[in-house]
Amino acid sequence: MSLWVDKYRPASLGKLDYHKEQAVQLKNLVQCGDFPHLLVYGPSGAGKKTRIMCLLKELYGAGVDKLRIEHQTIVAPSKKKIEINTIASNYHLEVNPSDAGNQDRVVIQELIKTVAQSQQIQSSTQREFKVVLLTEVDRLTKDAQHALRRTMEKYMGTCRLILCCNSTSKVIGPIRSRCLGVRVPLPSTEEVCSVLSTVCKKEGLSLPSELARQISERSGRNLRKALLMCEACRVQQYPFSVDQAVPETDWEVYLRETANAIVSQQSPARLMEVRARLYELLTHCIPPEIIMKGLVAELLSNCDGQLKTEVTHIAAYYEHRLQLGNKAIYHLEAFTAKFMAIYKKFMEDGLDGLMF
Amino acid sequence: MDEYDEMYGIEDEYDQQFADELEVLAEMDNGELTDMLFRKCNLIALFYYFILTFGVRSFCNCALYQVSLPCTLFTAPKAKRQKQDASVVKRLFDSQQTDEVTAPTTRTDDITPPSSPEQYESTHSSASSRPTRAVLDVSGFAAFSQTPQRTAAAAVTASQCVLKRPPLDGEYITVTDSSGNRVYLRQKENTGRKVISSLHLDGSLGLLSEPFAVLRVQVAERVSPRLFLMSIVIVHSGVTEQFGEFGGPEVEEEEEDNEDEDEEGRRSRLWVDRFSPHHYTELLSDDFTNRCLLKWLKLWDTVVFGRERKVRPPQVDRQAPAQAQAKNPYQNKFKPNQAAENTNFKTFKTKSQITEEILEAELDNHKRPKFKVAMLSGPPGLGKTTLAHVIAKHAGYNVVEINASDDRSAEVFQRRIDTATQMKSVLGTNQRPNCLIIDEIDGAPTAAINILLATLNRKDGHGGEEGGETTKKKKKKDGVLLRPIICICNDLYVPALRPLRLQAFLLAFPQTQPTRLTQRLSEISRVQGMKADTGTLMALCEKTDNDIRSCINTLQFLHGRGQRMVDTRTVQSVAVGQKDQNKGLFHLWQETFQLPRVKRKRVGPGFDEGPGEGGGAQRFQHILFLAQSSGEYDKVSQGLYDNYLSMRVRDPNMHLVCEGLQWLSFSDQLNQTIMHGQNFSLMRYLPFLSVTFHFLFAHAHVPRLSYPHSQHDASTRLQTNRNALSTMMADIPPAVRSRISELSLSADILTLLLDILCPKLRPVNPQLFSTREKEQMRELIDTMLAYNLSYRQDRTPEGQYTYILEPRVDEAVKFPGLPPRRQLTYQAKQTISREMEQEKMRRAEHLMMLRNPAAVRLICDPKPKKNHQQRLETIVRQTTVEIRPEVDFFGRAVAPKPQKVLTSETGEKSVEQSMGTAVGNSHVWFRFNEGVSNAVRRNVYIRELL
Repeated sequence: MSLWVDKYRPASLGKLDYHKEQAVQLKNLVQCGDFPHLLVYGPSGAGKKTRIMCLLKELYGAGVDKLRIEHQTIVAPSKKKIEINTIASNYHLEVNPSDAGNQDRVVIQELIKTVAQSQQIQSSTQREFKVVLLTEVDRLTKDAQHALRRTMEKYMGTCRLILCCNSTSKVIGPIRSRCLGVRVPLPSTEEVCSVLSTVCKKEGLSLPSELARQISERSGRNLRKALLMCEACRVQQYPFSVDQAVPETDWEVYLRETANAIVSQQSPARLMEVRARLYELLTHCIPPEIIMKGLVAELLSNCDGQLKTEVTHIAAYYEHRLQLGNKAIYHLEAFTAKFMAIYKKFMEDGLDGLMF
Repeated sequence: MDEYDEMYGIEDEYDQQFADELEVLAEMDNGELTDMLFRKCNLIALFYYFILTFGVRSFCNCALYQVSLPCTLFTAPKAKRQKQDASVVKRLFDSQQTDEVTAPTTRTDDITPPSSPEQYESTHSSASSRPTRAVLDVSGFAAFSQTPQRTAAAAVTASQCVLKRPPLDGEYITVTDSSGNRVYLRQKENTGRKVISSLHLDGSLGLLSEPFAVLRVQVAERVSPRLFLMSIVIVHSGVTEQFGEFGGPEVEEEEEDNEDEDEEGRRSRLWVDRFSPHHYTELLSDDFTNRCLLKWLKLWDTVVFGRERKVRPPQVDRQAPAQAQAKNPYQNKFKPNQAAENTNFKTFKTKSQITEEILEAELDNHKRPKFKVAMLSGPPGLGKTTLAHVIAKHAGYNVVEINASDDRSAEVFQRRIDTATQMKSVLGTNQRPNCLIIDEIDGAPTAAINILLATLNRKDGHGGEEGGETTKKKKKKDGVLLRPIICICNDLYVPALRPLRLQAFLLAFPQTQPTRLTQRLSEISRVQGMKADTGTLMALCEKTDNDIRSCINTLQFLHGRGQRMVDTRTVQSVAVGQKDQNKGLFHLWQETFQLPRVKRKRVGPGFDEGPGEGGGAQRFQHILFLAQSSGEYDKVSQGLYDNYLSMRVRDPNMHLVCEGLQWLSFSDQLNQTIMHGQNFSLMRYLPFLSVTFHFLFAHAHVPRLSYPHSQHDASTRLQTNRNALSTMMADIPPAVRSRISELSLSADILTLLLDILCPKLRPVNPQLFSTREKEQMRELIDTMLAYNLSYRQDRTPEGQYTYILEPRVDEAVKFPGLPPRRQLTYQAKQTISREMEQEKMRRAEHLMMLRNPAAVRLICDPKPKKNHQQRLETIVRQTTVEIRPEVDFFGRAVAPKPQKVLTSETGEKSVEQSMGTAVGNSHVWFRFNEGVSNAVRRNVYIRELL
């Protein structure tokens, strides 16, 4: 537990550093006794999980910190065995059903039912319900989500679900309507800076505010990333200097180079190179949506203002297709090719305009 | 035969071209016929037969009669020939209007020597429905038969149907041969024979405008079985019997059989079966292949028929095509076919030479050829099965066929192989050795093929035996394979066939020559009363890729629909005839990316105008058909995706690329819908991707295609990285584990974590670290343990030792082309690794203490006594002090005897006792094989040290 991220993670709702009014609301929610299903959503690194764990602690006390990893084996109707890891305490169970891939429906059905059907033993002293925490709900298949619908209603008495995801757009309406949506937005730059400086103070280091600001900008307000960056800076060089190079994740650097390659030349040969790079990114477990998003961001920063709307439009179009399809590389390449075509046309028009 | 060749330059070619056949056929007869005369006749008959079949017009007709046969060879027949000539003259005179138009054709027939005139008559009447038969009997060779009356009778019969002038009464048919002689065939016979019935089933009369070809086909059809049977009969009878003794009735019987079959075939069979070749020379397949297979089969003669293998005469070597070409180049003018073959030989020289070498190779110690199995491979419809059957029959075998319709499970297969190779039919007439033909072996299960291999490799108990007695020992030698096996397959590269491929004599079937196929098709269509010109038939051949079966079936189909006139358009439009076979993915890709050769016009930039053009629609259909028949849409689209960017299409605006990608992503979407919703009706839209790519990217150049493996590679690497990540996550303690996911690991944490794990450490002993450094070190180790990372010592291929991160997550986040991450030095890693081990042990101890405090205390509480002292005391006690109460066998105490045996009379203690006390008194002692050590222990015996 020695990474700063882990070491200085707030453990109760009261100790949260930002979105404090939301923390208060959550506290009230626990205290009023009528705890609904929750759908916690927000970008990565905003502190969803931290908030949820704080909430659980508020619900059950320190017992939730005693975590254990359980390896569960579920036999699908097709006799296929599905191995899945769950993290559980006496009061809650955390599952990432998308680990099971296409068979996530079975996991939902079996696992949650087993938990939900068992009653708490000492309901007088404890809450009468357990909590099942489902992570990455947006990666659940539609089947699994539909399997979830009825379970949520049926076992309301013994079980509450907390769903955690990045975006609600992939969560079907029926589930959204059954849950209380809790959005955890990214902390503002100032909030990130203050967290960074607090952590550094606890570590006995002095962090220049300029560097803190730089880190928070570089991290894209992703607090986890910001803290890791800060620690990496510390490892790199201490005492901190103001103009210190902030380490970045490799894939972002790689993506930026890819975007530069696209802008610098537009030809089938270049497209081939870009394809190789996109493959490289995909094989490093970077989800295609993130690649698409990063690529668009980098390309937009490189191209003329007139093009921006068009590029964003095609990006949205291909992102949509990406979601519908299966082979991400086709769609990423299609977007790249389309951008190349647009960009090339724009540049040639510009040249023509200069000449005449 | 040399003299003979010199006399007729043209025949010389044939002699050369078919030297091998002649040779094998000669071999067949060689030294077995006691009747020399008969043998010569046979040879000549065969020779003429070849000439006939291959249609040398110049070598024809009555001129033949003036041939004075070389005296050296034909001394015996000469006299008879003259006599026969005389008889011919006599016949001419008798029948007045008769001429022997088809004289040369008749020659072949006369090797049939009926033993008595009566029997001949019966044969004749049975065969009388065929006019050619009657004509045939007007034979010059009739003289060889011992009964002159017979020929006369035959001549009379023939004279009634072949007339030199138009007959006065009744219908007739005009027949003109190639040399311009015209004869008239009487259509009605007063004996009620249906003369021309076989010639035109549907009654159109204009069919016989080219009688020579028709007659030739018919002659070939009629004669070949007989000739073939004859040769077999000769072979068989030649071994044991005299010419005069062999059974006429047997021949008779078989002939009857054949005829029955023919009749039956006329009614019910497919044309494919009806017109399938019955003789070696009728085969349409490549000559070289045919010859090779026949030669291979002939290699078995020694073991099967007990004949010695004839040494190949040097003459044949001289006639090797390449040399022949060099020697007499002027001849090539006359034989373009052979010239073509020669070039063929040149290009594939090595390959054919290898084949030749195989065929020339020595037999093994069982007198078998080196390769026990011949494997024919090639696309369907080239006549592989036909070839195998014809050749096996030709070489005198009884064909036993196993094909995919049979049960080919291991036991059944074994039994059938054994039956076929070790037994022989004893009932019935075909007491010939079996030749096993395993058809469609590429579909056989691996177990069956293994059994076949085992059969091939079966060793005899006593290997080095002389092969002269093979026939006798056949029954005793249960194991060794003594019969040829021919395997037939479409795909030679089926994995199951791999072991067999190494042991087989491989023969790949080349494409049938369209000219030969066209010729055959025209013959068939003529016989069946269809009008089809050569162009049409060529188109048909092209459409079916020279698939003989498909061509004939299409013809029959058209015939069945009542079409008598077939033209190119009909052939093009008819839906049948196209094979629904998988041509291979590369073929499809190539077709997609390459414009057809004839189309010179470049395709416009847009997809829209493509199909509107004349060739467009056809190309559209073509590619669509190919894509549909391939079926592997996923693989196809991958291939298109991997290759389209390297095509040489000019696309400055990238519009084509965009369009193509649009289609790719559409098809991906489609695929997803199909797979997810199980909605397979959408599948019909998938092949259009290939069509689009064809219209977008096709180019006149031959595309350089590569097999698409990018997606497979990508998924493999993705899986590797995933595995590394999941290994890492598996053992992360739950408190950390709950906060991280695979995604956050790969996207956010890992790169930075690896940076954090590389602090600047002073390269000194960790004992010398300052407190701050120690703290840093401790944190580092904490982090590594928390994230389940460790350093493992590894040896590079160069022999250096390095520490690598375990699991290999550093690989999972490393991108090529980026500056390498800062690495710790070897010493630093070593230090960290050691410290980590200690920390792990400490933690484990701590954990144990928490769980079981009592036990830990026990361990922690050290005994005051030294270890060796404890042992020492017990040992000393045992040897010196302790006296066990003795018990007898049943466990009862035995009264202690006076135990002073060990002490001698002098009062000295026993050796044992003294040793024990000595040990007890000394401070240092050593006992082998005892004590606590973490070292690896093993027992070492003195004998190992000596």
